Amino acid sequence: MTVSRREFLKGAGVTGLASAVTAAGVAETEAQTGPRVLGPGDVPVSLMVNGKRLELKIEPRVTLLDALRNRADLIGNKRVCDRGTCGACTMIVDGRTVYSCSTLAIEAQGKQIRTVDGLANGATLHPVQQAFCDVDALMCGFCTPGFVVATVALLEKHPNATPEQMRKGLDGNICRCGTFVRILEAANAAKAKGVARG
Amino acid sequence: MADQQVGGRGGQGGAAPAAAAPKYAWPAKPVLLSTAVKRLDGPDKVTGRARYSYDINRPGMIYGRIVRSPYPHARVVSVDLSAAEKAPGVKAALAWKEPGAQVMYQGDPVAGIAADTEERARDAARLIRVQYEQLPHLNSVEQAMAADAPAVFPGGNVREGSKEETGALDDGFAKAAHVVEATYSTHVITHVCLETHGCVCEWDGDKLTAWISTQAVIQSAQQFAQGLKIPQSNVHCITQYMGGGFGSKFGPDAQGLICAKLAQQAKAPVKLMLDRKEEHLDTGNRPSATAHIRAGVTADGVLTAFDGQSWGTGGAGQPAGFPLPYIYNFPNRRRTHKDVYINAGPQRAMRAPGHPQGCFLTEILMDELADRVKMDPVAFRVKNLPPRGPNAMWADYFASGAKQFGWDKRHPTGDQTPGPIKTGMGVSAHRWGGAGGGSQARVDILSDGSVVVKCGTQDIGTGTRTIVAMVAAETFGLPVSAVKAEIGDSLLPFSGGSGGSTTAASVTPAIRVTSVDALEALCAKVAASLGVEPTELVAEGGRIHVKGNTSKGLAWKDACKLIGTEPISVNGRWQQGLSGSGTSGVQFAEATVDVETGIVKVTRILAIQDCGLVVDKLTAEHQALGGVIAAINFALFEDRLLDRVTGQMVNPNMEWYLLAGMSDVPKIDIVLNNMPERGVIGIGEPPTVSTASAIANAVRNATGATIRSLPLHPHKVLAALEQQKAGGTN
Repeated sequence: MTVSRREFLKGAGVTGLASAVTAAGVAETEAQTGPRVLGPGDVPVSLMVNGKRLELKIEPRVTLLDALRNRADLIGNKRVCDRGTCGACTMIVDGRTVYSCSTLAIEAQGKQIRTVDGLANGATLHPVQQAFCDVDALMCGFCTPGFVVATVALLEKHPNATPEQMRKGLDGNICRCGTFVRILEAANAAKAKGVARG
Repeated sequence: MADQQVGGRGGQGGAAPAAAAPKYAWPAKPVLLSTAVKRLDGPDKVTGRARYSYDINRPGMIYGRIVRSPYPHARVVSVDLSAAEKAPGVKAALAWKEPGAQVMYQGDPVAGIAADTEERARDAARLIRVQYEQLPHLNSVEQAMAADAPAVFPGGNVREGSKEETGALDDGFAKAAHVVEATYSTHVITHVCLETHGCVCEWDGDKLTAWISTQAVIQSAQQFAQGLKIPQSNVHCITQYMGGGFGSKFGPDAQGLICAKLAQQAKAPVKLMLDRKEEHLDTGNRPSATAHIRAGVTADGVLTAFDGQSWGTGGAGQPAGFPLPYIYNFPNRRRTHKDVYINAGPQRAMRAPGHPQGCFLTEILMDELADRVKMDPVAFRVKNLPPRGPNAMWADYFASGAKQFGWDKRHPTGDQTPGPIKTGMGVSAHRWGGAGGGSQARVDILSDGSVVVKCGTQDIGTGTRTIVAMVAAETFGLPVSAVKAEIGDSLLPFSGGSGGSTTAASVTPAIRVTSVDALEALCAKVAASLGVEPTELVAEGGRIHVKGNTSKGLAWKDACKLIGTEPISVNGRWQQGLSGSGTSGVQFAEATVDVETGIVKVTRILAIQDCGLVVDKLTAEHQALGGVIAAINFALFEDRLLDRVTGQMVNPNMEWYLLAGMSDVPKIDIVLNNMPERGVIGIGEPPTVSTASAIANAVRNATGATIRSLPLHPHKVLAALEQQKAGGTN
């Protein structure tokens, strides 16, 4: 995603301030009790996925992707490279796209997690999903959930994304069947229709 | 190696199909066929509802994992499962290789284990102790062919192939005004299926159900039965959705059998999907190809002679065949070939097996020859083509493509524009078979008007489910949504594996024949009720009525009410005359080369492809687009790298095994030449053959430097430019 220099500085300033506050808090706690150790063995993990609370007992090392796929049967997002390269596992966590194969489930607690499984409203597809179907922006379909989520996040952030922003915004995903041309068409079609902020 | 080497699937095949019985012939004015119909399972795939084998979760399911050889060649001394068996959550463990057995490549499976969670299965796998005695290994073709190479493979590291000779080679070279002599080569790439190989196996007594990621659902059942020594009637394979195969997924392989055995031992369903590293190491690859070629041409541009010695490696004990020379007429020619075995994962068919290699070796040579006689590459190629035919339309495509692409703006070899960015154009031609056969189908028409079409084929992403429904809907005069297509299950009527671009040409005739027969049965009932002859009736626009008199008839639903309690259920099979074989195509590429960094960017591709009768315009064009993009990867990015010392793959992942992303994909124009009179012909493979050669020729045109091997990585581009500065590459 293209971020202007001004936006970047603004964002960095706020984040810097926030981390400073948090760091101070953590230092205080650690002085008294030391860092909190989780595991080994199952620990309770509470996740907010697609607006629904999900209580799991899993090992702390379980990724967000595996927690949802293997423990909650939320199988829409796929595991492909399993190390944050291909984007098939892309989810939206607190408004930002993440590679859920490279995010621990315990780190996603207290955050709003959106997966491909939650985008459609019953039988009504999300405009991005509809656009993918209309222009045939998929073949085998295994990269598709990740591309759909990445496109949704891109258009929510940049409703008027330029072609260059779209390419860059979708560069974190890989397709092996070769659906890129049609995915870009779908993203354009969805942009034209407008994508409401989720 | 002749075309037959790749299973005959790449052969040109017959040009004109024998005629089918007139009643089965494709409609002269189709309503659905050759139009753009949206993929039926699109909504399931975009919402994540489509459940792939990887997504199957069964009650009580546990997770399997394979232990593999880290060495390219070793003898297994012992496999000790005891520590692993005691690890938390472990439910089953087995040795796949017996002590004394050899492992022939890194990733060769040695043992299997299953535990209640995936994480615990990974932990336990590390506790399996395998002792190896390392043996001498061969990491490269050069090592394997060296005079002092250790004898690793029984019967020799190098296998002499057959020799092909036509005409009189000496006469050919005597007639030549120019001779080009050079060595050309292509590299090894892996399939990188996004859904890795694997399955979920579940036993019910002595019956096995396997949800398997495969291109051949019925053949997988057969192979499970053979591998497990159980009757095929006890095996049920299911593949509703499949995340890419590209020629590498034709059976359960070792991982499927290990999964089934673990499930048997654990008395629980087991999911065993390979991880990304295993996928690179042990699920096939496209073999390398190298040829040392001497070729002659007359002063006015007529090819006279071709003398090629070729070799390649398909890894451990596997051949590396490819057609050579490709397409063009060399009246006097000789070719010898050697298969070279090395200690690396065995090859498997990969999208148009052999053809991208043979095409590249020939097409780069063709541009070098054209330069010698100072001819335009298109005119030079047209001058040396085999005769024009329905399956050999190259001359037409060269002409129309050159016009559409703006070939007249191509500069002679070497872009003289100042600055570091040089632009060039290249061209290449290809062919493929794509014949059909051996598919059965069943069509049920129910009294409520439902139509169910059943065929034991599978949709590997090409849109098979959609074209199955389209053909039946076309025949019944119904919308596509009115037909339910049941595929991807080994209990359905027989159909072949999806390989060789044979699926559309095998399946659609079977559906057509069966649907026509089913419609006849329905028309017999309607005719009796209307008091007309069945032959007077047609099905169109959702009605069955007297031809030319829409009012004398019944709506589909009302017609089906006449069926009664016993549904119309018709079995049928593929018949000759509705499908064809043999396709031709031409592609043009434009690329820029930064001569300071060596980075190549593809800016435009034009792909012209014939494909017989286009079934679904939307999915057919998409396959061509995908083929082109796959070949951009082959040309510019992907490369299986083996460490020179250890023989281990250094990039078994997706960050160092490079694949194109959105920003790497150029403008691509697809022109499909719809030829309904030839019947249905598959085109999953041919569009991926020419692209890399056309790009390489564009790079040559841009820079004046010839790079005779793939991939066109920046360091090779820079080296070629240096060599050119030092005295030319010719």
